[in-house]
Amino acid sequence: MRNDLSADQQRTLFARMLLMRRFDEAVLDMEDDHGSFGRSVASIGNEGPIAALSLLTRPTDLLCSTHRNHGHVTAMGADPMRSFAEILGRADGLTGGKAGTLHLCAPDKGFLSTSAMVGGANALAVGAAFAQQRKKAGGIAVSLLGDGTLDEGITYECLNLASLLSLPVLFLCENNAKAGERPSSMLAAKALLDVPRALSLPTLSVDGADAEAIYLALVDIVDRVRKGTPYFVECRLERWPGMRNHASRAQLRHTDISLGWDRAAIGGPHAAWLTDSDPVLKLAERLVERRVMTADALLALDRETMARLRDDRARAEASPFPAPGAALEHVFG
Amino acid sequence: MAMITYAEAFIDGIHSVLSTDPLLSLIGRDILGGGVATREIERKLLRDFPDRIIDPPTSEQAIAGLGIGAAMAGVPMFIHFGTGSFSLEAFNQLVNEAGVARYMTNGQLKVPATFHMFHGVRGGGAAQHSLSPQSMYANAAGLEVVLPSTPHDVKGLIRTALRNANPTIFINHTRILDVVGEVPADDYDIPFGRGDVKRRGRDVTVVAFSRMVHRALEAAAVLAKEGIEVEVVDPRTAVPLDEESICASVEKTGRLVTVEESIQSCSVGSEIASMVAEKAFRSLKAPIVRLARKPVPVPYSPPLEDFITPLTADIVAAVKKAVA
Repeated sequence: MRNDLSADQQRTLFARMLLMRRFDEAVLDMEDDHGSFGRSVASIGNEGPIAALSLLTRPTDLLCSTHRNHGHVTAMGADPMRSFAEILGRADGLTGGKAGTLHLCAPDKGFLSTSAMVGGANALAVGAAFAQQRKKAGGIAVSLLGDGTLDEGITYECLNLASLLSLPVLFLCENNAKAGERPSSMLAAKALLDVPRALSLPTLSVDGADAEAIYLALVDIVDRVRKGTPYFVECRLERWPGMRNHASRAQLRHTDISLGWDRAAIGGPHAAWLTDSDPVLKLAERLVERRVMTADALLALDRETMARLRDDRARAEASPFPAPGAALEHVFG
Repeated sequence: MAMITYAEAFIDGIHSVLSTDPLLSLIGRDILGGGVATREIERKLLRDFPDRIIDPPTSEQAIAGLGIGAAMAGVPMFIHFGTGSFSLEAFNQLVNEAGVARYMTNGQLKVPATFHMFHGVRGGGAAQHSLSPQSMYANAAGLEVVLPSTPHDVKGLIRTALRNANPTIFINHTRILDVVGEVPADDYDIPFGRGDVKRRGRDVTVVAFSRMVHRALEAAAVLAKEGIEVEVVDPRTAVPLDEESICASVEKTGRLVTVEESIQSCSVGSEIASMVAEKAFRSLKAPIVRLARKPVPVPYSPPLEDFITPLTADIVAAVKKAVA
């Protein structure tokens, strides 16, 4: 088992998470400017699991995402211009403006239909895994579920089926349930993993804010899934405080990546989240400490990323709305 | 050509596609309803394709979702629910996943899945085993809805369902599984949206699906003795619906009776009646007559079951009302 990532892997991991972060910040800005009609759900804070997974997937692997999909499609290589365009309902959107922000989907990057039905992605992933099993080519399916799906009956059926049929499916769970404010799941089990364990699935819990730790855990797990062992991995996450209310969102709107290596400068009401739970800052700190990248190089990458996204957004805004008749297309074929 | 039962023709149709599509997979047990005779017929599939048929736990939501996901990932699927009543456990999957995936992905993903169920009064099924859900599915965009009535039709229609790229709700009836008819031995497909005139007549058009086609034909035989010639039109698919054939028949006869096993409200028959009133109004010589189950859950006791279900005599009476 590998116990560290190569310098290249670390840089790739960081670049992907940074792209995801700046993309969602740009989406929130864009929605403010346009008067949002889609109500995006940001992936901010949840970058770690998908970024780690993206280093391990093959082109034939299949992924199923949820209403919290922006980070997933971005990490797997969807064109941000087309993501922006889809959120704006434009013809150049990933799916021609037919689905919108809660359903960003990039089939050419391995995504099945993005379902906003809580638990829906679990079922599609089980189906995708069944197909991979039939095709016998070593492909896997990944359900990019949230803890909320453990409130839905279909999830229990899916875990059971995956276990009974030995399907090559990885349940990669972003668990950001939080007692106190309204939790995203209410489970009568002592631990979320008690549920998949009860159905004989092997499980693992990792720190969801540590992208490297997730990657290292997934190296062996993905291999075992390929060989026909379904697995349930819980990534423990603290929800981004910007989800809570406008004030918090304003305070945390744009990440200052220098806080990664300039920890003393972290302050304000969300200092704890920034210090312990921001996966982008966590990895930035390590890259500088290890001299894998200098602070200047990180800042340059950040400027380049933001410039590219500004350009993507502008091109998306210039994309026309689809012709009204497009509403009648692609029902049957 | 052979004289075989509806059940045999259905299994032959499935068998023929399993033989040519190496990926098609089936999930469900007792796809012919579980009777001793039908298990024998079904055995042919298990014998020839044992690794293509999965016996699932009682988990309709996940089975439906698995079917949809697998189909989207390139493995065509046949999912069996048992009775139409149970399919409602998976209604969310069918309506909100299967029916919308191609549209939401702007044609980039498809759902070549067939969802099979039995509808209608089977005899003693009572309220939870006797649902006719066709209009519920017909009213959800993105789902094809098929209701065959004869051995010839079921073989061609199931082949089309299993080989096309759309999600298809395929609805059989346990009380017609032993109907015998002529079925070609070769492989043939019947396209959706193409109805069939099961009996030609000049006086009244009766539109029916599934088991009611047979009751309509019985009623036609009774009425012929009284000099009333009924034309029985079997659209075979509720979605897509063969509006042209139905309207052409009404333009000839001037009178329409719809008969079905669901209750009347918002039914497929009601849709057909509205469509004809809209598109063939000037051909109508009399008000449209609609016949359906009474709007109650289905009772268990046989005389009660008969009371709420359109019987041959009820169809005869409805036709007479149309010519009055």
